[in-house]
Amino acid sequence: MSTSMTEPGDKYGFFFDQSLCTGCKACQVACIDKHDAPLGVLWRRVPEYSGGSWQVDGKTVTPNIFTYYMSVACNHCEDPVCAEVCPTTAMTIRDDGTVFVDQDKCVGCRYCEWSCAYSAPQFNSDTGHMSKCDLCYDYRSEGLDPACVSACPSRALDWGPIDELRATYGSEAGIAPLPDPSITEPHLTIRPHRDAQSWDHATGHIANPGEI
Amino acid sequence: MNIHDTSMVIFTLASQMAVGSFIILGVVYLVLRRRATPEETDHVVAPALYAIGPVMIIGLLASIAHVGDVRNIFNVFLNAETSWLSREIIFGIAFAIAGFAFALLEWFKKGSLVLRQAVAALAAVLGILLLWAEAMIYYSLEAVPAWNTWVVPFMFVASAILLGALAVGTAMMVATVVRGREPAADADAGPASTDSDSKESGGLMGQIRSRFREINAPTTESEWQFTTRILAWLALVGAVVAVAIIIVSTIYVGDLSQGGAIALESAAVLSGAKMWWRLLLTGATAILLGFAVYRLAASTRLSAPRMLAATMLVTMLLALVGEFLGRSLHYEAMFRVGI
Repeated sequence: MSTSMTEPGDKYGFFFDQSLCTGCKACQVACIDKHDAPLGVLWRRVPEYSGGSWQVDGKTVTPNIFTYYMSVACNHCEDPVCAEVCPTTAMTIRDDGTVFVDQDKCVGCRYCEWSCAYSAPQFNSDTGHMSKCDLCYDYRSEGLDPACVSACPSRALDWGPIDELRATYGSEAGIAPLPDPSITEPHLTIRPHRDAQSWDHATGHIANPGEI
Repeated sequence: MNIHDTSMVIFTLASQMAVGSFIILGVVYLVLRRRATPEETDHVVAPALYAIGPVMIIGLLASIAHVGDVRNIFNVFLNAETSWLSREIIFGIAFAIAGFAFALLEWFKKGSLVLRQAVAALAAVLGILLLWAEAMIYYSLEAVPAWNTWVVPFMFVASAILLGALAVGTAMMVATVVRGREPAADADAGPASTDSDSKESGGLMGQIRSRFREINAPTTESEWQFTTRILAWLALVGAVVAVAIIIVSTIYVGDLSQGGAIALESAAVLSGAKMWWRLLLTGATAILLGFAVYRLAASTRLSAPRMLAATMLVTMLLALVGEFLGRSLHYEAMFRVGI
């Protein structure tokens, strides 16, 4: 069991069942706790995406509004732009397809931060280095699930080799507020909320920018 | 505006000014060489050449201020295979080394003409590669609509030409004024150390002192004729580039305004008061260069160069502030798609 969770070539990623998510942020809190992240460093974030309009029919006004959540960490992209742009080679791709910051190499220039559409690499001002989700490599090495996945009370998160996840859950990854998945090729698949909007037909906005 | 961004504003502008000055000076040299004597060419070109080094060093030092852990600074060369940032740093340092080597060879008049020209050509090529890599750092980020556009390389090259032309022109004028100040430089050296003494005494300090005197020798009338003609050309080139910057800035904001939600956020930042000041200052630069400097260059005599020098200096300062605001906006307009 233990070795199969860091298997070379498995290209691990996340599954997010948006239809189950209540926006409680247990995943985010579990991540902070597990990695002892300093204040403001959020490897997993839960944006609240809201929007809508109303219809007027005579004297009747019918609202048509929506809100849904998106739990996002690093999506360990197929061809990660953070690793491409990193000048020091600190942004490292493991054999199992996950991406982590080699703390011995990072110079803290923050170029990876600019390049990532998911805000996955985050600057840790305590160390002067970048930091990011490594899909809980140490937990996986011991045969445990990543902290965020275990913490979700709705069981809205899953993880595994991306091919298996796509076979089980489909391959949707372009739900707003996430960007066009062809830019990033994320190892992520989403079961959309009933009101979910695709990235190219997005009409809403992130309602909790201060929380992400 | 924060320290991280400010250090990069200073680095990009200083490196672009250095590369622009070096290449423009190269063109000036090639043109002068056909019309003036080697001594005249050297005397006109030298002051500007030696002003480039400090500018580039200021830029490189400023760039160090934006790293989080300077202990790992030597790792930044490791990813030249895919990272434009690694390439930029390599080209930047290579340009500085080649330029410094050329300046040393020129100062001590070491090496054949062919060797010196080869080193200068190498530095110029490295400078162009530096500009290219610098632009690609931003242009290559697909997640940032405000950067993933031809406007970024255009603006970087425009800054290099505008600031380069102004720096070369200002250095030539400041040198002319300083040389005209009788004979303070020699008096400093004291009565025991005349020109011939230093040469005879040999040694490094002697060589440096005699080269200083050579550069500080009063500008001759024929050198002044070359200087003012060069200045008129620099003013024209600078004015055209300043106008182009204004036109492209408006096209840029217009393009972003028609893009997606993220591009609109960038457009909003680029439509504020800071942009108006940027356009105003760049417009003032164009007017001063195209009218004041261009005309003064034709009418100013060698005996009274101060008005032209002062105009040049003021124009350069206005352009620098304009470029500083413009480059700050470049970083402030960074909004990414996604979250």
